[in-house]
Amino acid sequence: MSFSISRRGFALGASALALAACNQNGGASGDGEENFVNVYTARHYDADRQLYAAFEEATGVQVRALTGNAEQLLERIRAEGDATEADLFVSADAGNLWRLKDAGLLQNVTTPTLEQNVPSNLRDPEGAYWGFTKRARVIMYRKDAVRPEEVATYDALATPRFRGQIVMRSSTNTYQLSTLASRIERHGADNARQWAAGVRANFARDPEGSDTDQIKAVAAGEAQATVVNHYYFVRLMKSEDPADRDVASKVGLVFPDQTTGGTHVNISGGGVTLHAKRRGRAIQFLEYLTGDAAQNLIAPANTEFPIRPSITPAPELAALGAFVEESIPLDALGRHQAEATRIFEEVGWR
Amino acid sequence: MATLICAAPAVAVITLALRPDQGDVAFGGDLLRDGAIGTALVVALGGAGAVVFGAMAAWLVSLCRFPGRGVFEWLLVIPLAAPSYVLAYAYTGITWHGAAPIEVRGLWGAAFVYAIGLYPYVYLAARAAFASQSACALEAARSLGASPWRVFWEVALPLARPGIAAGAALAMMEIAADYGAAYHFGLTTLSTAVFRAWYAHGSLDGALQIAAVLLLAAIVFLIVERRARGRAAFGGGSSRWRPLPRYQLSPLPGLLASGFCVALIAFGAVLPLAWLGRLALLHGDLGDVVQPFVNSVILSAAGALITLALAAAIAVSARRSKSIGKLSLYGAAMGYAAPGAVIAMGALALFSIAREAGWIGGLGTALALAALFWTYAARFSAAGVQPIDAGLARLSKGLDASARTLGAGPWRRLIAVDLPIAGPSLAAAALILFVEILKELPATLILRPFDFDTLAVKAYSYASDERLLQAAAPALLIFLAGLAPIIILTRGIARARAGQA
Repeated sequence: MSFSISRRGFALGASALALAACNQNGGASGDGEENFVNVYTARHYDADRQLYAAFEEATGVQVRALTGNAEQLLERIRAEGDATEADLFVSADAGNLWRLKDAGLLQNVTTPTLEQNVPSNLRDPEGAYWGFTKRARVIMYRKDAVRPEEVATYDALATPRFRGQIVMRSSTNTYQLSTLASRIERHGADNARQWAAGVRANFARDPEGSDTDQIKAVAAGEAQATVVNHYYFVRLMKSEDPADRDVASKVGLVFPDQTTGGTHVNISGGGVTLHAKRRGRAIQFLEYLTGDAAQNLIAPANTEFPIRPSITPAPELAALGAFVEESIPLDALGRHQAEATRIFEEVGWR
Repeated sequence: MATLICAAPAVAVITLALRPDQGDVAFGGDLLRDGAIGTALVVALGGAGAVVFGAMAAWLVSLCRFPGRGVFEWLLVIPLAAPSYVLAYAYTGITWHGAAPIEVRGLWGAAFVYAIGLYPYVYLAARAAFASQSACALEAARSLGASPWRVFWEVALPLARPGIAAGAALAMMEIAADYGAAYHFGLTTLSTAVFRAWYAHGSLDGALQIAAVLLLAAIVFLIVERRARGRAAFGGGSSRWRPLPRYQLSPLPGLLASGFCVALIAFGAVLPLAWLGRLALLHGDLGDVVQPFVNSVILSAAGALITLALAAAIAVSARRSKSIGKLSLYGAAMGYAAPGAVIAMGALALFSIAREAGWIGGLGTALALAALFWTYAARFSAAGVQPIDAGLARLSKGLDASARTLGAGPWRRLIAVDLPIAGPSLAAAALILFVEILKELPATLILRPFDFDTLAVKAYSYASDERLLQAAAPALLIFLAGLAPIIILTRGIARARAGQA
């Protein structure tokens, strides 16, 4: 029962927050708009449904979700034009958000609450999209074959030490593109090409399967190291399947580049669509997503990192230790996407 | 008209792809060449496997008697309910690192998964063909002293060839269009190239160009297939139909036949089902699956009926008219060889044109559903047209002429003559369509209304997030939802043999 009380407490706090936001924006939120908000989202976690319910409880505003693949949702919004039903677009990758912005399908939005909630490296410089969770691209290595200091940097994976010992996911995957895009931003295209070619030369096999499959391949001895999003490892650790937990026990996690610019991070984020019919509601929900109540709910549920250091991450994440994250303009992940794809193809990393 | 409806989204894709002033994504790199080679390889390997499995199984249960035959007859259809990507995940999990003597991966892994998952297309079509063969032809061959093998090779098989070819064409187009399993196994095919151009290059235009190549290749493929079939057209033979005489297999061959059927069912259904079941049990919580289940069944049933009606219209009109009608067959069939997401983009493009012209507003619930059914029709009408057409192909030309002489109009001929004879094929088509739509993912994903989940959408949501444990329950239910109509309809086919109808 104490749960429901504390939830009510959340709700009150959040609605007070929303109210405050309302006042600050001079009525940008809500007034005269229907009592729901339509979200096209490429995130399909059960936790998100809890979040919608909590938002509805806090504000009385219903969240209607259309889940789907980011690239396809983009095309639906484009085809719907000014008749679109979508008020907010949500994706689990900054590169995808950038594509919507690039296609002119998002509008720039700035509110004091958003600026206060979201660190500047986790949002679009012009306010087209705002992050609300953070994921780190980490190195996983097989404990009985590799010492953690051997994989302290992404660079290490491109050295002859790992000849025939690296598995990687396909570069069709957006996380992989964003990883290389961040390198292009930090070190330039030539460096990125050399790195990609070096890693490619170290492949134990051609790219296949998901992030989780890469970790499993490392655990099984097919390779010694790979690069994945951190939460896939955490999930294996917590899995109901003993085989998964066995996999997790064989591999170690390293946050790379701790002394050389920081680990690559990506966001889940949202942006208000250009033709949003309920712009105020969309902003209200975005503010809610970045606010304390939602942050405490969403980040632990999917073992993602909250966007602000002041929020305590899930215990499994805290156990991984603090880490230095890269600090580059978020839109770099989108701007360098095309070049990243070209480089991957040049070096034969499909 | 029906053709126009079914072909429009595919035509839209080709038209969009041919717009001038495009980037060089599709044709600049090696993507197209490598994709074409990959598709040709996997279609040939997977298709050959599906034909061998499906035709063998159909012949055994239709023309032989051996232990378990009656049960195998309908159990053999079950793998139809398994989406290829689910089989791919399952076999990777089952044979993963030393858990089995052979690891299912790469090109051969994909070919295996396609063959074991898609042989029911050949099986259904071939069985319908075997089931409605003239007993007299077979008996005549037998009384002339032909051995069972000779009867199979020289009489039964040639007579069933249109059916087998139709089933094989479906399986092969399905393989060409598949993205999920191909991507999972790391293949470069035209389908994965479509999505690489789209997702990695961010170029929908490039994606549409590659998809257009796939669509055109499908037309060429169908024309070749139909030509080959056309030369082998047979007259109806005797019009007296009796239950087929079955060979009693002696113990050893009988056991082998049983073993063959058991293996197909085990690899196509039992093993993957058990794997899914284990994951679902491990996870424990079924999650929210009731509403998606209901949504899936309603959507699939309605979609199957609409598509079946259109497919029947296409097949019948194509058969009655001469050359132009034939073209419509190919037009309608194109959509089957392209990934559903691409056809959905075609439908979206048409929607966009209609909206800009001011005919319609936004994609509300009703319009979204309409667009979805339209896409199903565009994507799957071939799966209906092929079996129906193969069924009609057995219609004796004299029969139609007789009906005409007796003064029966086109509708009367359709209802009183064509449909009863094509009955088993219609039932097979309905079944295939229902299960196809049940499994269909990309078009459903992009064109459905708000807060409307199906089982496939549910399974995808979890699987794409790499939560296979949670994905297991909805995937399992896709299987189970497909099971009931499979049982009902396959029994129906057995009972509705033309002679007894």
